[in-house]
Amino acid sequence: MNQLSMTVAGATALALINGAVQAQSLEAESGESVYFRGWQYKTDIVQDNVDRYNDEQSGKVDYATVTGDYPALMEQNLIAGAELDVLYANPSQAGRYFDGGWIMPAEELDNIDAIKADMYPNILEAWTYKGKLLGLSYFVSTRGVMHVNLKKYNELGYTDADFPKDWDALYDQLYEMRDKGLEQPFLPHWLSEWYGISWAFDFEVMNRGGEIADGETHVPLLTTDADGPAYKTLEDWKRVWNDGLVPEEVLTYNESSYIDAYASGRYVFSPQQLYDLETFNREDRSQIAGHASLLPYQGQSWGLLDSAVYLMTSRERADAHTEDVKRFSNWYGYQNHESEVFVGNRWMQESMLFSGYKSVMESDAAAERMKSALAREEDIPVVLEVYANTPYPKGIWSVVWAEEFNSWLKETLQDFLQDDGDIVETIEAINEQITDLNAKYNL
Amino acid sequence: MTGDKATVWSRLALLVVLLWTLLPIYWFLKNAFLTPDEIARFPPPLYPLEPTPAAFFNIFGIDYTLVDGTVRRGSGQANQIIRGLINSAIVSAVVTAVTLLVVLPLAYVFARLDFAHKNKLLFAILLAVALPPVSTLIPFYAMYIQLGLAGTLTGLIIVTLTITIPFVTWMLIGFFRNLPPVERLALIDGFSRFETFRKIILPLGKSGVAVAAVIAFLFAWNEYTYALVLVNGTTANTLPTAISGFLFQHPEPSHLAASLALTILPPALVAFFLQRHIADMNLVDPVR
Amino acid sequence: MKATSRTAELSNLQFSLLLALPVLVFLLLVVAYPLGYALWMSFHEIVFFGGYKATFVGFDNFVDVLTDKKFQKSLWITIRFTVESVMLAMVIGLLLALVLNRPMRFGGLVRTLVILPWCVSLYGTGVMFSYLAKGQTGIGTALAFAFGINDDVNFVNRDWVIEVLAIGNAWNMAPLVAFFLLANLKTIPRRLYDLAAIDRMSHVEVFRNVTLPPLRFTLFVFTCITTVLSMKLFDFIFVLSGGGPGTASATLTYRIYKESFKDLDLGYGAAMSFMLLALILGSTFLLYFLWGRREASTP
Repeated sequence: MNQLSMTVAGATALALINGAVQAQSLEAESGESVYFRGWQYKTDIVQDNVDRYNDEQSGKVDYATVTGDYPALMEQNLIAGAELDVLYANPSQAGRYFDGGWIMPAEELDNIDAIKADMYPNILEAWTYKGKLLGLSYFVSTRGVMHVNLKKYNELGYTDADFPKDWDALYDQLYEMRDKGLEQPFLPHWLSEWYGISWAFDFEVMNRGGEIADGETHVPLLTTDADGPAYKTLEDWKRVWNDGLVPEEVLTYNESSYIDAYASGRYVFSPQQLYDLETFNREDRSQIAGHASLLPYQGQSWGLLDSAVYLMTSRERADAHTEDVKRFSNWYGYQNHESEVFVGNRWMQESMLFSGYKSVMESDAAAERMKSALAREEDIPVVLEVYANTPYPKGIWSVVWAEEFNSWLKETLQDFLQDDGDIVETIEAINEQITDLNAKYNL
Repeated sequence: MTGDKATVWSRLALLVVLLWTLLPIYWFLKNAFLTPDEIARFPPPLYPLEPTPAAFFNIFGIDYTLVDGTVRRGSGQANQIIRGLINSAIVSAVVTAVTLLVVLPLAYVFARLDFAHKNKLLFAILLAVALPPVSTLIPFYAMYIQLGLAGTLTGLIIVTLTITIPFVTWMLIGFFRNLPPVERLALIDGFSRFETFRKIILPLGKSGVAVAAVIAFLFAWNEYTYALVLVNGTTANTLPTAISGFLFQHPEPSHLAASLALTILPPALVAFFLQRHIADMNLVDPVR
Repeated sequence: MKATSRTAELSNLQFSLLLALPVLVFLLLVVAYPLGYALWMSFHEIVFFGGYKATFVGFDNFVDVLTDKKFQKSLWITIRFTVESVMLAMVIGLLLALVLNRPMRFGGLVRTLVILPWCVSLYGTGVMFSYLAKGQTGIGTALAFAFGINDDVNFVNRDWVIEVLAIGNAWNMAPLVAFFLLANLKTIPRRLYDLAAIDRMSHVEVFRNVTLPPLRFTLFVFTCITTVLSMKLFDFIFVLSGGGPGTASATLTYRIYKESFKDLDLGYGAAMSFMLLALILGSTFLLYFLWGRREASTP
């Protein structure tokens, strides 16, 4: 045999061996239960996935849903050393848990290099904390994509050509709509959840080209210049609030009310979750089915990168037990025993949840799925382009005080709106708070 | 106090009472008979135009096909709902039984008799009632982890008893005080204190006992704050926390409404059976 | 004869106490540990990141709480919410009891319906009232559109959210009050009403002289109970408004939750919860001194 075929043969053999090794190493061995706790999202699918692992890999995974304020409850569990092995987390929480000494980063997995190779670089960057990849890809999405209710938009006389290209143009168009008779054309992302109004500020500032804190040093970067992104954001917020262009009650909305409100068809624009394009286009879920579209990337990004990872805890366990936890995490968070990103692909099919893995996003199945979820086929490249340009606020998320700052910001912004606060003072307060938090944690 | 005018007023009063009581319930539970797109409609419908029982099937995990062919899938929460239902039933039954057993003699003793340290114990009971759960959540949680009680029904029962026993005691003390003073008469007739309690006070106070049972049951059935931290996500999950998940992440308002209807049913039944004891109460003139 | 009956008395008393007291003591112990732990936490500053650390700070947490503007605002909100809830609950409870006291057909069904609000958990009440009061989904909006006014009617705003909460809370608590009052009403002998009719007393006089007196003690007890319940309330407020809009309905319980659970400032949160406890106990004692003492002394 010539050299080429030898190499091919060798490579194939190696691949086969690797594959075989992979297949064997994911089966549970210690007989101990692996406790997996998730938040409330499509729990039937998660349960089915877990059942599959338990059946096919002799696993003993105990899955349950934790309802309510998931991050707070999980933190309590971690502090108390409760029976918890695998959990979900947003990257900002993951960093905090890591600093608390409660989790085992994904770096510890044997096949970590293969995993990293399959990830998009910007996502890998976002999920790396203090040099370590903390968890495996659950989902990635853009929260704050500017949804458009084409039904109402067209009724008011606008077409695709009129799509605003940035936030300034959007606000101008809102006032135009008000002049045309639509009192409240906009549902802002000012809901009461932890990912509500504070994230709205984060992404609007980033979309406008600003940064809240430095990605490495976490030093605050907001300026009080009248044409700075923070100033313009707060100024526009104040405008639309005082002029009644937005519904006051949005400040008390949870995710459910927020989605229902937009699904009622009352509003033209609203920053929503990327995968909810599908929700709003479903007949049995929304009054605007078939008319939900999004604003394209026209030089300015929309929203921010929302994601979640699967984490492994570092609680006291026997080594064999920890090995099982690693195996399950691998199976669930990356490839199963057939070297297929089973769970990742399934989320794409079920809910159009994007993944951090190239192998999932670039597959034909993914393309087909997107086609079925969107209102118009021309929206597919729009979705991908918006997604590719989504920013990530590393400065305020990849840091131990991320959650504390987030909840402080929420209250500050709510007070700013309701008390008609001063813009410069508010920006200065934000900078001061970041500085104080850095001092508190000796950063 | 003649007939017609009084009847009109009392009918009106009754109507107002029913409206006040039922409106909030109706307004949300009508969602249990709608599909999510109908629920999202603006302005909100005054009554369901095309009611469908789909949600009630869904929460038990059963798919339901609507008239126009779309399938409303069974909820992924069904397992937890069913388990929550059973757990809540167990916890509530045990807590009610234990509470009644403990509280009835206790409240009577506090209400009618005097003994040493009475005021100190009364204060202790008051303290137990006044404690806000939100303050003792974390210490309870830490304590339970150490004792291995976190995520167990036993643990939840104990915590719930710390709420029901002081509270029901406090309420019943007031009630027992109001009963006519029969002790002296009973003593003259040769009853011992305990017999007085059992054979005279309890029947006289049947209504109080019934109400105490209902209250204990309801407190246990609806306990949310402690359950949220102590049994959430475990096999001991109770119904309130199981259904609270319907509001998050993947909202299913029709499922939430259907499961709320489910949670109201058992307490309503308990109340229905026990409210009779208040109405049927015989007005015995104790002097006779 | 007297001696024997007295010893028989004592032993029966001891018997009943023997049954009930151990359970009571057990429960107090179960409560004492968390209480003690919370007390310990309130004297320390507790940090989790960079290694668990608990530093003794004496009364600093308490001083900080008292001077914290957010605490003061929450204090005021709690008092306002409690006063409104209690007044509404007592009045509505009394009205419900009076209506239920009349003989009627399907009495059992009506009574069960009236007790339904108490059967709905506070969590459920929060969901229902949030749905009822918000502009997007509320009855105000539905009625407005029905009458041709194409505008949404929202009550969950800064100005009215506390009132919405108070109404919801009263809706939930009133049946409890009503049923105890009803039990009391049932003990009023018919003869008294007949006598009043013979005396030709007006409705108001009948109410004041016949109906009200036996109710007074229960009214006092339930004012205390509803006060305590309202001050302790958390899940209802969390679900309906999440302390909002903004911090407009951030009662003390919500503030404690935020400090302890979200910011993990356990020492500070514990100190604040002792403030709340002091408020609750203080209110109860105040009610007792102003009102209860009079009732207790009447036979």
